[in-house]
Amino acid sequence: FKDDLSTSPQLFTPMSPYDVDLPIQSTEDVLFGSQFNQPKELPADFSSVDLSFLPDITQDSKEQNLSEAGHDMQKEFDGSISSRNEDSSIFMDESSLSYPDATRPSPEASGVCPPLTPMTPMTPVTPASESSGIVPQLQNIVSTVNLACKLDLKNIALHARNAEYNPKRFAAVIMRIREPRTTALIFSSGKMVCTGAKSEEQSRLAARKYARVVQKLGFPAKFLDFKIQNMVGSCDVRFPIRLEGLVLTHQQFSSYEPELFPGLIYRMVKPRIVLLIFVSGKVVLTGAKERSEIYEAFENIYPILKGFKKAS
Amino acid sequence: MAARGSCPGCGSTALVEDAHYAQQQLVCAACGCVLAEGLLTTTYAEEEHLREVAYSQSTGQKEQLSRCLQRGIRRVQDLCKVLQLPMVFEETAVSYFQRALQHPSFHLVSLEKKELLGGCCIFVTCRQHNWPLTMGTICSLLYVKQELFASVYLSLQKELGLSVPALSLGDLVKTHLNSFRLFQHAANVPAPFVEDKEKMVARTMQIVELASETWLVTGRHPIPIVTAAAFLSWQSLQPAARLTCTFARFCKLAGVDLPPPAHLRLKELLEILLRMASQLAWLRVFNIDKKTVVKHIGDLLQHRIFLLKNAFCLGDEEEQCAMAPGEGSPGSPPAAGGAAQEEGRPSEGKRQHEGGPRPLLPPCLINPRKRLRTAAPSASDSAITGDEPISDSEIEQYLRDPEEIRAFRKAKAWL
Repeated sequence: FKDDLSTSPQLFTPMSPYDVDLPIQSTEDVLFGSQFNQPKELPADFSSVDLSFLPDITQDSKEQNLSEAGHDMQKEFDGSISSRNEDSSIFMDESSLSYPDATRPSPEASGVCPPLTPMTPMTPVTPASESSGIVPQLQNIVSTVNLACKLDLKNIALHARNAEYNPKRFAAVIMRIREPRTTALIFSSGKMVCTGAKSEEQSRLAARKYARVVQKLGFPAKFLDFKIQNMVGSCDVRFPIRLEGLVLTHQQFSSYEPELFPGLIYRMVKPRIVLLIFVSGKVVLTGAKERSEIYEAFENIYPILKGFKKAS
Repeated sequence: MAARGSCPGCGSTALVEDAHYAQQQLVCAACGCVLAEGLLTTTYAEEEHLREVAYSQSTGQKEQLSRCLQRGIRRVQDLCKVLQLPMVFEETAVSYFQRALQHPSFHLVSLEKKELLGGCCIFVTCRQHNWPLTMGTICSLLYVKQELFASVYLSLQKELGLSVPALSLGDLVKTHLNSFRLFQHAANVPAPFVEDKEKMVARTMQIVELASETWLVTGRHPIPIVTAAAFLSWQSLQPAARLTCTFARFCKLAGVDLPPPAHLRLKELLEILLRMASQLAWLRVFNIDKKTVVKHIGDLLQHRIFLLKNAFCLGDEEEQCAMAPGEGSPGSPPAAGGAAQEEGRPSEGKRQHEGGPRPLLPPCLINPRKRLRTAAPSASDSAITGDEPISDSEIEQYLRDPEEIRAFRKAKAWL
């Protein structure tokens, strides 16, 4: 397959992007038999490189997802180091790795070595102004899973320490675990909603832990149809934004009602993401089913917001 | 009521007086033959009692609409009359309302929400015609909570795909000031407090524009800003007599509500004005503070473009800002040393020297509230694959022991 392999060299520290002591790297080698080439030339100041990720997948759908890697968006690199070290950590699922084109195609590069491109881009092809260099950080993932058995909620609330059940208020057990720090709503039909995770893998791990708790309580719980339903990300563009101007020029997408809410609600069509844009420059992106949608949406909105930077 | 005579058609004596539209007719009850049309009584007094029948009542138009819809339309029309809106608005609002009620998401909502829907349609109509109507006004007329109004309004906007232009501040100022009762002499208003409306409107507009340029308006509710600006402009037009009057008293005299955020807006406006005053040459000799700056608002507004440029560094003039070298102001393009951006947090505004120009930023960036930053995902977090084995001990920590269950059961029995 023609997937491009790349990984963020900034997994752990921005200044040593080529730290090879990553457990993930070895797995990648094993899985894909590729060589990790240390790129020859690399820009001295290296920004957070991020990959667009595909949705969380189970082992069976690994192949299907990898083939979708071609759809991923391309990420640009600019010269300035972003302070968002936290965003650079990639939550890689062993079984699902997505490999977008790491470079704005230097076509010779892809042509020369077909199945893989170097780990990092050769040089930032376009100037800094074209890419934001800011990576939205995921704040919340909501997922659902089917435990496929009827549950006795009263029983669960009695035997589990971390459960609360108030049938008059809500018809589900609210269960929490400490690691990963998440909350689950467990319904008597056997369906479960898991919220609060910061990555797709964490959400899946948390959901499995909840299922295990239910299993230990004596129910024949399974783990079917795990699906990420919503992802929320946030970031900061670092300059104030004239929301009144933005609502004038993008009226068909924006809704700005200062009487109701201090932020501007921007409904992007492609990808279908809702962005909350605030005067301080902070942006919240929500409604995504895949991580790539959040990144793509932010890359779409960033040039629009930059247009309002100097309008004061 | 039966009348005398017999029907020429069938000879029956059952004659009834009936009204066909506005006309009285004498009709035979047996065969339906109309004997006589027009007024059957000629008394002047009786003629006076006749009323014309409205078209909508006499035709079958009303019967085609459901009773709920009829009631809603009537409510919309009543609201328009209360707000004294032009006829065009009423028709548009009614058509929106009909469209909305047919929509599946609004068809089955509660009656309270349907009434709210009528208010929303009027609100949207006003906004589309740039008629400055605030949500607060509509909510108070409908006796609803603003949160409920907000949710219905947003879903209406989404379902019908309406594009609603933004509220124009200029019109809002004029409309809001119309409700101030300071423009005529009244019993409770001392003579020096009465003000000329045109002058006050003009100056309030200028102050609101100044607030808009200095980031005090974006993202905030407009009414408190307009109220604070009105207060400042009123004070500045006759400072000698009015400086002693407090904001609360001013609002009471004007017959206007004092919204809670207005005090903060007033403080922010005064701070901006003070900074501008520090740049005005002939004011530097005076010790200007929050009270005395009001006297000079006229001058400050006159030269505001020049003063704003000098008092605040806008964007690329970061060298003028008294910042530590290497740190750019948040609005500046990335400096050569990218590391500067790491420090380019809003808090640098606090480290300003006294009197130095400060960056022109929204107040939320100048005074950031200390926020608990969530810990950055550590390296171990990033290595999570989602398929790790889960140890039994970890799960068992979440399960109760048998004696715990017994104790819990007992405790619950007591509750």
